[in-house]
Amino acid sequence: MSSDVENTRETTRESYDGFADYVAGKRAVLARVGLTVSGVGLVVHLPDGRQEIWPWDDLRALKDQADREGVVIYRSGAQLARLFVADAALANAIKTRATALARRTRPVPLAKLAGWATAAVASVAVIIFVLVPLMASQLAEFLPAEGEKALGDATLEQIRVALDETGLGSGVNTCQTPQGRAALDEIYARIAPEIDLPYPVEIHVFDHELVNAFALPGGHVVLFRGLIDTAQTPDEVAAVLAHEIGHVVHRDPTRDALRSAGSLGVLGLLFGDFAGGTVALMLANQLVNASYSQAAETRADEFAHGVLEAANVTPSALGSFFKRMQDENGDVEGFAAHLSSHPQFAKRIAAAASAADRAHQYDPVLSKAQWRGLQRICGGSSHDVSGDEGDMSESAPVDNPRPNRSERPARNQEGKVK
Amino acid sequence: MVPRVLPIRYAGRAGALFKLALKTGLFTLLTLGFYRFWARTRLRRYYWSAIRPGGIPLEYVGDPIEKLLGFLVAVVFMAFYIGVVNLILMYFSFALFQGNGIAYVLSFLGLAPIIFFAQYRARRYILARTRWRGIRFGLEPGAGGYVWRSIVHYVVAILSVGLSWPLTTLWLEKYRVNRTYYGDLQFVQGGKRTLLFGAMRHIYYALGLSAVAGGMLALSENPAWAALFLLTVPWAIYGWAYWRAESFKRMTETKELGEIRFRTKPRPGRIIGIYLLGGLVLNLVLYGVLILAVVLVILALGGTGGFDFDPEQIAQLGTAATPAFVAIYFLGFVMIGAATQALFTLPMTRHFAEVTQVIDPSALNRIQQRDRDEFAEAEGFADALDVGAAI
Ligand SMILES: [Zn+2]
Repeated sequence: MSSDVENTRETTRESYDGFADYVAGKRAVLARVGLTVSGVGLVVHLPDGRQEIWPWDDLRALKDQADREGVVIYRSGAQLARLFVADAALANAIKTRATALARRTRPVPLAKLAGWATAAVASVAVIIFVLVPLMASQLAEFLPAEGEKALGDATLEQIRVALDETGLGSGVNTCQTPQGRAALDEIYARIAPEIDLPYPVEIHVFDHELVNAFALPGGHVVLFRGLIDTAQTPDEVAAVLAHEIGHVVHRDPTRDALRSAGSLGVLGLLFGDFAGGTVALMLANQLVNASYSQAAETRADEFAHGVLEAANVTPSALGSFFKRMQDENGDVEGFAAHLSSHPQFAKRIAAAASAADRAHQYDPVLSKAQWRGLQRICGGSSHDVSGDEGDMSESAPVDNPRPNRSERPARNQEGKVK
Repeated sequence: MVPRVLPIRYAGRAGALFKLALKTGLFTLLTLGFYRFWARTRLRRYYWSAIRPGGIPLEYVGDPIEKLLGFLVAVVFMAFYIGVVNLILMYFSFALFQGNGIAYVLSFLGLAPIIFFAQYRARRYILARTRWRGIRFGLEPGAGGYVWRSIVHYVVAILSVGLSWPLTTLWLEKYRVNRTYYGDLQFVQGGKRTLLFGAMRHIYYALGLSAVAGGMLALSENPAWAALFLLTVPWAIYGWAYWRAESFKRMTETKELGEIRFRTKPRPGRIIGIYLLGGLVLNLVLYGVLILAVVLVILALGGTGGFDFDPEQIAQLGTAATPAFVAIYFLGFVMIGAATQALFTLPMTRHFAEVTQVIDPSALNRIQQRDRDEFAEAEGFADALDVGAAI
């Protein structure tokens, strides 16, 4: 090696291949140095007469530099010293000979990364799946009724606007025809005469094709027009309504809202704000919710069976409605199937069937005229209505309302009655 | 002896930066945000290397893996805070105030200390990973003091309806700069308390005039007052640009690094020009792309059998095209992000860099290297809260 150095000095002392600015990284001093391109490496002729050979394999270049012509060079062993080569021809000569310019100089601390990643995932999991649900559950018990009502009112308005497909921002229409309202009131009066709640249950019908229903904090229950269209009998609508009222009674929506406030914040922390970040957040939150709410669903189902039985309406209506939804969404596989609580459907259908007394004669919840009124609650004669004459054949082609929206009520999609 | 003047050259190019921002933005998108540590680092390398005082580029030596690690460390501690605090704030805002708006205000107040903390720590990390002429910058520890001072100064600024903002700006700048080092030499931010009020003057004029004109308009209905009132809008815009330029000038020229001083003369007109031109180009491109997309859709519809608007077919087409729309939405988001960097951030840094000079009575050569500032959490807290530097 040393003979190499001697040799280079002999031949190139007077004729360098070019010059560069050099800093050693000890003081803020800039030195002008001559450079020679040799077989073993780049020879740096320092101002004090010394020269260093920087072997080609040791050379690294700074990346993503604004100056595309020159190059800034350092040695993999020495993190501080820099060579600023401005001359394009010389820079190119260096780039063609130094093959490892882009290689990392510091090893990746894999063990450390894995350790902290595990800790981060564990911490997030404990907070989202244990701590936040636990706290939400406790706090929901103590939230005053007015607070719950305010929370529900705000959320209802947000969802109405989010579901608006006209893009006018006025929100999806609420259906109000007098006959329809009267029919709903009739159902409510029959199935829930003596519920003790700090606020009245308010039933809304959204003029939207999704087969969906959900409850919000403060006693709001929302049915979608698509659900009423899909139902074959008024009993099925009553059963779904009873299920949602079950959620209201158990304060599930309040718990859910508080929990999503906590877990959405944590998930936002994890994903950052890439391209708005909303979709990843919603997807993640939906996963969290799907795995959470099964206990609440069973409880609401049981509540529905109870009130239906007490009102002399067959509890099996809930099962027959779920059955229809399962048939229609039967092709949901893989990822989407995991998001909806699909595998639970079979259990829930069976539970509804066994809740009904086979020997008993139940009454329909509405008269035929009232049922027609409910089916036209959105004013539409345009929607084919069926089941008028007790005709249970599939005469109403429900165009598969495959939802593809990602707003807040996303967790209720895939025909899942929450 | 005549001091040496080091002008600052700027080597950044809008096209190259746009490409880099677009590429890293797409990677970030495709990796569900995971690449953002690399994206941020690569952009910083570019921005730093574009600034060349005396012809030698700044160097950003931050490492994406170090940033990722710091983020993971921050998540371990922050997840608890964010989750539990968000939930409790939501509860109290509805339990006590029955409203969502209060929840946001409260959650900001709850987060304010940790945001200021994260900002200071992020600045310390960035300075510790910045070098020029091979010498490191640095920031002394002091995030705790920064947190309570920031809160006090912000409260004062809010109570004065923003009129004392110049004082807030200077105080916080002094706290940060007086703890900043280049090598072994400490920066000093000079200037009296009144230093920045003059820089705000055009905003004060515009505000005063609009108050007078608005008041007179309410009294007399003379259309001349309405015209005068409207005139205050461009004046306020000029006032904002003047504040950007003049406050930078006043603070930069009162900074001291040993015997080294700084001179700068940014121009408000140039700042307004950058935003006008950038806005124009951005809008032209956006509308161009939009029109192109509409034309393509019409052509595609034409290709599938003419314009019979069968609603079912359109609905099917809509369902089939949904992934495409989602893709276009995200692409648009990334494009706009990259264009914003190329059209606004880069020209602004270029302008402020090119009008600034370092006046060095050969004190620079005596500055010694400082030790490496290790960071367990890098700027993880700022990343987690998304409140770090703009770049
Ligand atoms: Zn349910």
